[in-house]
Amino acid sequence: MSATARGYCATSDPWVVSNFALATRIDKGKPSFTNHTMSAAPSEKLPDGGAKKAIKLPPTEKSGDVRRRSFIVLSFWAVVVMLGLPFWWYTTSIYRANLPLDRMLEWADGKACQPVLPITVAFEAEGLAAPDAQELVRLTQGMLDQQSDLAAHQIRLQPGNTDDAALTLQFTPGKQMGATLDSREASLKINYPSGTTVSNPSDAAALATYLAQELRAAFAEERAIISHLLNQPLQNQSPETIEALSKRTTRSMRYASTYHLTFSLFTDGPSPSTWDIEEAVDRYMRPMLDILRPIHNFTVDTQLQLYATPGVQSQVLSKEDLSSFINAAEWPLSPSIGGAPTVNFVLFVGNQTIGNAGSDATSQSWMIPQWGTVYLLPLSDSTAHVDSEILRQPMLTFGGHLLTLLGTPQSGSLPLRLSTLTRIRSLDLLLHASSTLGSLARLSISLPSISIPRTVADGVAASLDHLEKACANLGGPEGLYHARIAESEAEKSFFEKSMVGQLYFPDEHKIAVYLPLLGPVGVPLVLGLIKELKGWKQRRKDAKETKDKKKQ
Amino acid sequence: MQSLFAWLLLLATAVAASDYHEQLTLRPLPLSSLLASFDFRSNTSFSDYESQNFRLFPRSLAQILQHAGTRELHLRFTLGRWDAENWGARPWDGTKEGGTGVEMWALVDAGSDEEADQKWLTLTNTLSGLFCASLNFIDETRTIRPVKSFQPEGHHTEAALAHSRLLHGVLPHEVVCTENLTPFLKMLPCKGKAGIASLLDGHKLFDASFQSMAIDVRPICAEGQECVLEIEETIDMVLDINRSKRPKGNPIPRPVKADELVCDQSKPYHSEDTCFPVDHLASPDWQLDQVFGRPMKGTCPLADATVPSVCIQVPDKRHVFTSEGSVQHKGADGQSRCYTMDENNDFTLFLARPDNPGEGLEVVEPETPLLYAERSLTGYGQEKGGVQAILTNPGNEDVEFVYLESLPWFMRIYLHTLATHISPNTTTAVDFSTPSSDIIKEIYYRPALDRVRGTQLELLLKIPAKHTVFLTYDVEKTILRYTEYPPDANRGFDVAASVITTLSPRVMNLRTTSLLLYLPTPDFSMPYNVIIFTSTAIALAFGGLYNIIVRRFVGADEGEQSPLKAKLAKLKEMIAAKLGKKSAAPEEKTAVEAL
Repeated sequence: MSATARGYCATSDPWVVSNFALATRIDKGKPSFTNHTMSAAPSEKLPDGGAKKAIKLPPTEKSGDVRRRSFIVLSFWAVVVMLGLPFWWYTTSIYRANLPLDRMLEWADGKACQPVLPITVAFEAEGLAAPDAQELVRLTQGMLDQQSDLAAHQIRLQPGNTDDAALTLQFTPGKQMGATLDSREASLKINYPSGTTVSNPSDAAALATYLAQELRAAFAEERAIISHLLNQPLQNQSPETIEALSKRTTRSMRYASTYHLTFSLFTDGPSPSTWDIEEAVDRYMRPMLDILRPIHNFTVDTQLQLYATPGVQSQVLSKEDLSSFINAAEWPLSPSIGGAPTVNFVLFVGNQTIGNAGSDATSQSWMIPQWGTVYLLPLSDSTAHVDSEILRQPMLTFGGHLLTLLGTPQSGSLPLRLSTLTRIRSLDLLLHASSTLGSLARLSISLPSISIPRTVADGVAASLDHLEKACANLGGPEGLYHARIAESEAEKSFFEKSMVGQLYFPDEHKIAVYLPLLGPVGVPLVLGLIKELKGWKQRRKDAKETKDKKKQ
Repeated sequence: MQSLFAWLLLLATAVAASDYHEQLTLRPLPLSSLLASFDFRSNTSFSDYESQNFRLFPRSLAQILQHAGTRELHLRFTLGRWDAENWGARPWDGTKEGGTGVEMWALVDAGSDEEADQKWLTLTNTLSGLFCASLNFIDETRTIRPVKSFQPEGHHTEAALAHSRLLHGVLPHEVVCTENLTPFLKMLPCKGKAGIASLLDGHKLFDASFQSMAIDVRPICAEGQECVLEIEETIDMVLDINRSKRPKGNPIPRPVKADELVCDQSKPYHSEDTCFPVDHLASPDWQLDQVFGRPMKGTCPLADATVPSVCIQVPDKRHVFTSEGSVQHKGADGQSRCYTMDENNDFTLFLARPDNPGEGLEVVEPETPLLYAERSLTGYGQEKGGVQAILTNPGNEDVEFVYLESLPWFMRIYLHTLATHISPNTTTAVDFSTPSSDIIKEIYYRPALDRVRGTQLELLLKIPAKHTVFLTYDVEKTILRYTEYPPDANRGFDVAASVITTLSPRVMNLRTTSLLLYLPTPDFSMPYNVIIFTSTAIALAFGGLYNIIVRRFVGADEGEQSPLKAKLAKLKEMIAAKLGKKSAAPEEKTAVEAL
């Protein structure tokens, strides 16, 4: 008991206030006086408060004790490293499925696929003998290949009549060279002087040159659009053409297999309150929609809204007014449900006029890019019913604008324009899917803390698979089909909801969770390790010195 | 009163052939209140609905209904409490109101329960966007499939009924406000621009003592005609006339001038300078554009002109003045009159103060309801509690009804404690002798599953004439998970109103108020406290253990002097030297230095 009291006086280190009353720390295993023992120590110290206190050194530790201490420290660390760390890692790590990042980036950079859109042109030459026709095909094809300035766009001539031809060449002997594009069918009618014989090389060359030139002219717009999509400008394109092409891109809606068409009649006052919209749609819109069916599906709905005040009240609408004319807050033009985008066709009954009509607007209607069309219809106040004859002009305008909104080229007959649309859409989808995959790859690289669920990896794999198939079959309906799936899979993967959930977990919270535990536990562990390492070094040094001494 | 609503109903069926009709019924209530019932009804033929040509039917809603395969939809937005003691029976027999908050039920086209759930989810999510309400929070735990209470109201074929499910969901916490009125008005053919809808103003509507907005979509098949899909939108509001009459720019109530005070002269203390005001008891005068804050802008040109736009239910003795060009039609019962008016001119209506106040013919006597119902929480503490519903039958006939409770899962009900007591009236002693089985005829009970679904309890009860039934049961309150508490957890959790559907003598609806259940709420800094506390405990234990194991213990005098201690001693000595320069012995100093 007296020893305890004395020990307490001697030290103020709180750790030592325990059964080991006389304990204090020893930092280094110093070689010292071996005749001292623990039991002898208290007897040496006298409570006289003697001014001459001898500095004593503790006895040397047994090497077994030192080793045991090292084992203890090491086993603590072994538990931490082998059990603690893996457990922590396992419970806090974020699942990141493996994404084929390199391939995704390759697709995004356009290295994975060199898109080639073959356009089959049937060569119907009834008046020509078969060998002659083949010779002419060979010559024209050579001419076309020679002139080709866009690798992606290839016109391929094929003798005979084929079903999947985008264009058919029809030859009729006539007085002079001439070519006309049929306004209804996808065919190019060629007149050639009746005296021409293909066996004559100069005649054949002239005809082939002419054919090549006409074919290139027929597909000029498509070639321009494709070059714009691929970002490979053609030679001698004027800035106006490039501007028109980018306008086409901004105007057209994103591809969807189904579109909702909403026809709305808005009026400022109480009348008209009925309209023959069903009949008008059947008569003026339906034929066009039927032709578009292979590429898109359409659903049609109509509504009539009275007392709808436009966003702009002025009598003459300036160009700036057009953008705010739609009163989005009050008009029930809510976006449709179920995934398919809506194309709005608004017929506004009112006597407002468009002043300062630019190239974008006719005197009565204007198109809102990627949204739809507004048509101003002046009617007398007493008109209570709008019959289908009045609706004719608005419907035709809507039809034309619908084609533009869908991204159809301007020139050529409708079948030709639609086959062009198929090819443009496939390429567009292919590029869009590739760039989405690229964005996803970059996202996953730049955000290491984002989780990537398995569904995303599956979606990416499916998308890549379909992209390859689409790339191999570009130009046909199969290519469009695969490109469509690839695009939707890529979009689905990119917008996967569960990726965003864990994204934001602030670091302050981590500190608040980890620090209270890791601070007090980690500090003794680390200090103990450091001390042990120091002691180990010292022992090695001492051992070396004694060795050297012995040698001497 | 009863006959008038029946007459209205008859009228409604008569004009079903017409496509749109609207009507406003005004009924002054006792204690200077005014009930205004707006009714808008339009329909579309099924062929138009399926080919998506919409004229009077709102396209936005129709698209949702088609997308979610909904055959029938009922949606209610309610705020406030209907004071049945003073105001009597509810308008529309209670069929056009919901519990506080948002309530909806729908008949969805589904062959299986899973399909029904899927469609219900789509429906609630899309409607939530359309009506700016948190309908998307009506999840599985708030959805029930009523067995007895709710039935399809429209006309359906047998095959259609066999292939559909009725689901009911309620959101008692939702605060109904102006943003719900705007989409409501947008769906009307004349918007809020003409007709009776031009009276609707968010400020007045949501300032009312009670208001309920309802939308009902149901198919109606008249014999020999094509089936139509009918949408009926109704708004019922009870205005406090004195409050509504306050001018817009000066809404603060001010004391009435002495000479304008109406005093009860029968009071013994009545004199020149003391007065018992009876203003609120008398039926005051009011003008339509004054209480609604805006005039009525003509009539909606699409509405059926044969249906009068505005009706008022007051005894014939009272004087009503209307603006020019309107024609008055008096009802046969001598207690109502209707007005047809000019299409383009503003309309207003003035109800004069009664000629002889206090004679009892100021307002149409409110009809006594079939049942009075109130419900409250009993018990104390945060663990257990109980619910008591007091159901009174004031009439002379036995009333049979279905009592429906849709309770949240965290309110665990002990069904074995369900008990009823009956008493001849509320004040006298309760009669315990009547067994519960005499009152409760049938029980349909679907127990709750934690976090999956709530409790559904439907009871078929019968109360004899002039009797009160006390229905009680005990509940246990659950401790929720940390993340399940809302931000305002200490406010309590709303428990949906119970729905009472009477079966005999006639069908009508009644809802109690919703309850506020107080759950045990933790301190929300708890997780960090727990982390820090346990970490500290672990660290203490670990540090002690580790140090004891790893450190070497030697004699106190054998250890090295810690450098801090040496410095401290030096400092101490320096201070001592400075303070006691003269007294300090020189040898002592050297002795310390030797240390």
